[in-house]
Amino acid sequence: MEEQAKVLAQNKSRKQLLSNRLVKNIRKHWVLYLMILPGIIYYIVFKYIPLLGSVIAFQDYQIFNGIAGSPWVGLDNFIHLLNYEDFHEVLRNTALIALYQLIFQFPAPIILALLFNEVRILILKKTVQSLFYLPHFLSWVVVGGIVFELLANQGIVNAIREMFGYAPILFMQEEAYFRTIVVISGIWKEVGWGTIIYLAAITAINPSLYEAAVIDGANRFKQTIYITLPLLLPTITVLFLLNIGNFLELGFDQIFNLLTPMTYSVGDIIETYVYRAGVLQGQYSLTTAIGLFQSVIGFALLWIFNRLARKSEQGLW
Amino acid sequence: MKKNYYVFMLAAFLMALLLISGCSSNEEASETPDESGETGNSEGSDEAAVVTVFKSHMGKGTKPDSSSEHLQYVKEKTGVEYELMTTPPGSDPAEYINLMIASEDFPDILRPIGGVEQTLINQGGALALDELLPKYAPNAWEKIPEEAWNIVRTASPDGKIYYIPKVYMIPERAALLRKDWLDAVGMEMPKTLEEYKEMLIAFRDQDPNGNGKQDELPTSGREFGRWMDHLFAMFGVAMWEGYPEWDIYNGEINYAGTSENMKAAIAFIRELYAEGLLDNETFLNKGDVWAAKVNNNLVGSWYHLPANLGEKITALREGNTEPYIVGLPLPEVEGFEGFITQKSMGEPEWIIPKASEENAINALKLLDFFYNPENEEFVTYGIEGMQHEVVDGEKVLLPSSDEKPLVLGMANFTTDETMKVRIENSFPEEEQQMITDIFEVSKADARRIAGDGMPSTVYEGYPDIQSHKLFQEYLTKIVIGEWPIEKFDEFVETWNQSGGEEVTKRVQEWYEKAK
Amino acid sequence: MKLSIGEKVFQAFNYILLIVLASTMIAPLLHLLAVSFSSPIAADTKEVFLIPVDFTLATWKHILQNEVLWRAFGVTVFITVVGTFLSMLFTVLTAFPLSRKEFMLRKPIMLIMVLTMIFNAPMIPFFLTVREVGLMDSIWSLIIPGLISTFNMVIVRTFFMNIPKDLDDAARIDGCNEFRLLFQIYLQLSKPVLATIGLFYAVGYWNTFKTAVLFLRNPDLWPLQMRLRAFFTSEEEMAAVDLIMGDFDFNTTTLKAATIIFATIPIVIVYPYLQKYFVKGAVLGSLKE
Repeated sequence: MEEQAKVLAQNKSRKQLLSNRLVKNIRKHWVLYLMILPGIIYYIVFKYIPLLGSVIAFQDYQIFNGIAGSPWVGLDNFIHLLNYEDFHEVLRNTALIALYQLIFQFPAPIILALLFNEVRILILKKTVQSLFYLPHFLSWVVVGGIVFELLANQGIVNAIREMFGYAPILFMQEEAYFRTIVVISGIWKEVGWGTIIYLAAITAINPSLYEAAVIDGANRFKQTIYITLPLLLPTITVLFLLNIGNFLELGFDQIFNLLTPMTYSVGDIIETYVYRAGVLQGQYSLTTAIGLFQSVIGFALLWIFNRLARKSEQGLW
Repeated sequence: MKKNYYVFMLAAFLMALLLISGCSSNEEASETPDESGETGNSEGSDEAAVVTVFKSHMGKGTKPDSSSEHLQYVKEKTGVEYELMTTPPGSDPAEYINLMIASEDFPDILRPIGGVEQTLINQGGALALDELLPKYAPNAWEKIPEEAWNIVRTASPDGKIYYIPKVYMIPERAALLRKDWLDAVGMEMPKTLEEYKEMLIAFRDQDPNGNGKQDELPTSGREFGRWMDHLFAMFGVAMWEGYPEWDIYNGEINYAGTSENMKAAIAFIRELYAEGLLDNETFLNKGDVWAAKVNNNLVGSWYHLPANLGEKITALREGNTEPYIVGLPLPEVEGFEGFITQKSMGEPEWIIPKASEENAINALKLLDFFYNPENEEFVTYGIEGMQHEVVDGEKVLLPSSDEKPLVLGMANFTTDETMKVRIENSFPEEEQQMITDIFEVSKADARRIAGDGMPSTVYEGYPDIQSHKLFQEYLTKIVIGEWPIEKFDEFVETWNQSGGEEVTKRVQEWYEKAK
Repeated sequence: MKLSIGEKVFQAFNYILLIVLASTMIAPLLHLLAVSFSSPIAADTKEVFLIPVDFTLATWKHILQNEVLWRAFGVTVFITVVGTFLSMLFTVLTAFPLSRKEFMLRKPIMLIMVLTMIFNAPMIPFFLTVREVGLMDSIWSLIIPGLISTFNMVIVRTFFMNIPKDLDDAARIDGCNEFRLLFQIYLQLSKPVLATIGLFYAVGYWNTFKTAVLFLRNPDLWPLQMRLRAFFTSEEEMAAVDLIMGDFDFNTTTLKAATIIFATIPIVIVYPYLQKYFVKGAVLGSLKE
């Protein structure tokens, strides 16, 4: 009893100390606290209060009766998800595509930004850059349509195959090509747009560093490896961390518009399942539960990588 | 409670904060939420009652206000002014209605989409209409056949009528065939499956489009196996735009997707695919690609809405062919009885939320106006100068446009006569006979299926069964030759295990009531 | 500067690669442009590639003469300009304290904000919240619920954190408080990153669609993207609505193509002006050492 009281008292005094320090900190840097106040209010009102609605994952949510009037079901929705007979397939497909995207799609804008940086003719550089942003503005419905037509029997890819005497392949209905198509189309659509942040970071590099390197006799390649890339690393790290938190969210639109029943076994992902269960059946509780599942995994990954990042670079927090 | 979601959640949030930080509360008092704009209508008891009507997929036009002549006419006749609410462009109607329900922002009468009627019925939000209908909507009550009302009754646990159903007395879809191609290869209309296949072979080999290239696609369909129902129909498979339906197989109501008929149909389609008689890109054809193939004079036999042929005929003409399109009477297949799937009744058209009970009588009066035989002329042709013009003493419908106010229609009751009017109004005279003939052929082969009007609640908890995911996977992979036809048996087993059995049980229970 | 042979080869290779890739990226838009100037039949039979077939202006006339569309255009311009300004202001105000070591709550607040990128609120509670706050049917519902993008905020914060701290000391000697430090020194040095997130926000607001569908019942407030969707009705949907389609020199296909162009072009035109700032940032330079 006594010991408990002691610990309690200790805890209390530690808390006291902390809050004393906080009060002091607020007094001294009240401007900073004032600055962030609107942001905090925004996050509470438009992010956290709606987020509390996630409790419907533990309910049998009935839209007509609302959260207060819907029965609680504990972990039923999560159990239902784990019992879904294709759950493993769906999870595997999602994780694999996510991994491929991370390996191929994430570095693509970095490489492209470096290539842009090597273009000496300013007008060419600007034009090419602008053209690279264009696909970002096309929706996946449109891009999906283009992909299907390019890979059709009469499409350009099969026309080239024919020139070399190969029989046409209907790529979109072959499991083997699905992930490749997802990755390539994803890169094509977003790579240019993805360079924007890196280009901003590159322009912020002090030119005197390059001048010094030139004096030391470093060629362009070496400058890129030893100056540009290391200075891009903080940006790369931050973008990587921001990405990894949404690891299991691939973007419904892309997959949905490229998927055919013949590629379900490699392309059916969490979000397409959510579409069938949630949108077509109105199972809001189940889809919220799935969302929470994705988020928890994303958070775990972010937490791990953030710790790693803090060792070498700065982390997010 | 739920109206005050914000207050509720803010309180919960503050509580959580308190628990976490363990400090005494000196937070600012919670802001009082603004009352969002009033959505209810004033009673308007003095003059006309206002009824808010929610209907999605309204097409082009502006939101009608009280200056709309159509609205005024209806008001004069019924004493009810309609206020049309519709889904904004690009929205998902089902999601939109769900949000309306979640925020208790109910219209007085709505057209449910995507199973919303079941949400309302099962959660106690729908108004039972058994007593109101005969009294306040006698015309609708009389016009809609008793059979349809019975099906509506089976869709609710307590056997009451919660919605007004759609009624289609004729099939709107048909197996279509290029008669000019048939003539070009010098063949007669095929009567049996073998003859049908011979015809397709001739289409493939004898250059019926006359361009000297072997580019014909004797028959074609679309992604997910959609819009190729004619190939299934011959084998007596109940199929709706590529989705297997429920009909009597083995003496009981069963899923057409797992029937022996389906197996035979898939085996046949697989053969067609292997021999290049079915467009090898069928399962990759998006709607526009498929339409382009038909329009480009490449497809001989397909399945679609005859009433939509106008554009295709124009496009074919542009390509210097004079197409003649006929309905294909389903060829006979030994051991099977073919039919064109017809769903006639039972699908929900209008439902009244319980929250709008006060205005229900007015809503029904409004509804009844459209079912009243006296108003038939007006319902079809609307206002002169707005919806129709008079040419040579005949009323001709005008196309809708972005500038004109939308016009409310509430009767979804398609019969021979209404279809005739639609054909007369949307096709030039010389094509009208052609379209009418197609409908005649389709009507002769059509049959209502046993699962007509079945509520979607039977699928609850089994989204993959409802979305036909498993079926589509097996269908496509078997047809393109990646899997042997024997795999079909595996499909039947997997389908049953992954919920099909349970769903079948529910359907059979429903059918007991509906019979 | 003289280039070695290896570098010359690389340069040539680089130019060719970039030009080839860039042409694949503009091709679809050129195709859509061609379709928008073609007759509906040519479009539906897929005859059009990069050059219009049966050239017609009917599609564009139909779109550009649509008064409602210009109104929607105005709405979109308004939310893009006002929204981008407000978003950038509050993003910077939030990012700055979080980049300061002396801000004690930096880490917990950062964590709390980053969490919202991972944990997304379900749609119905989000809708109800915005409604209860009183933003329903208000143009602000297109701006306020998405005011701060955590992604952009983190980018700005990272940039701030990399600004050398000796500048602070200089400022402090001058007696600057943190507001002045932010607006007079940090923002001046952050032009490249501000141009970047400005572009991100502007594009986001320009493409406003989902929130508008959720929150706006009043058609007068509908933004451009929503109006453009009105042209997107599929053939089968049309059949269910009305069969009387009339005989026009345009159809859904050509309209779709034109609307995509119409929605994309303005932002593409604005971009080069923003690009200037990237270059300016380079001149200011001297940040990272």
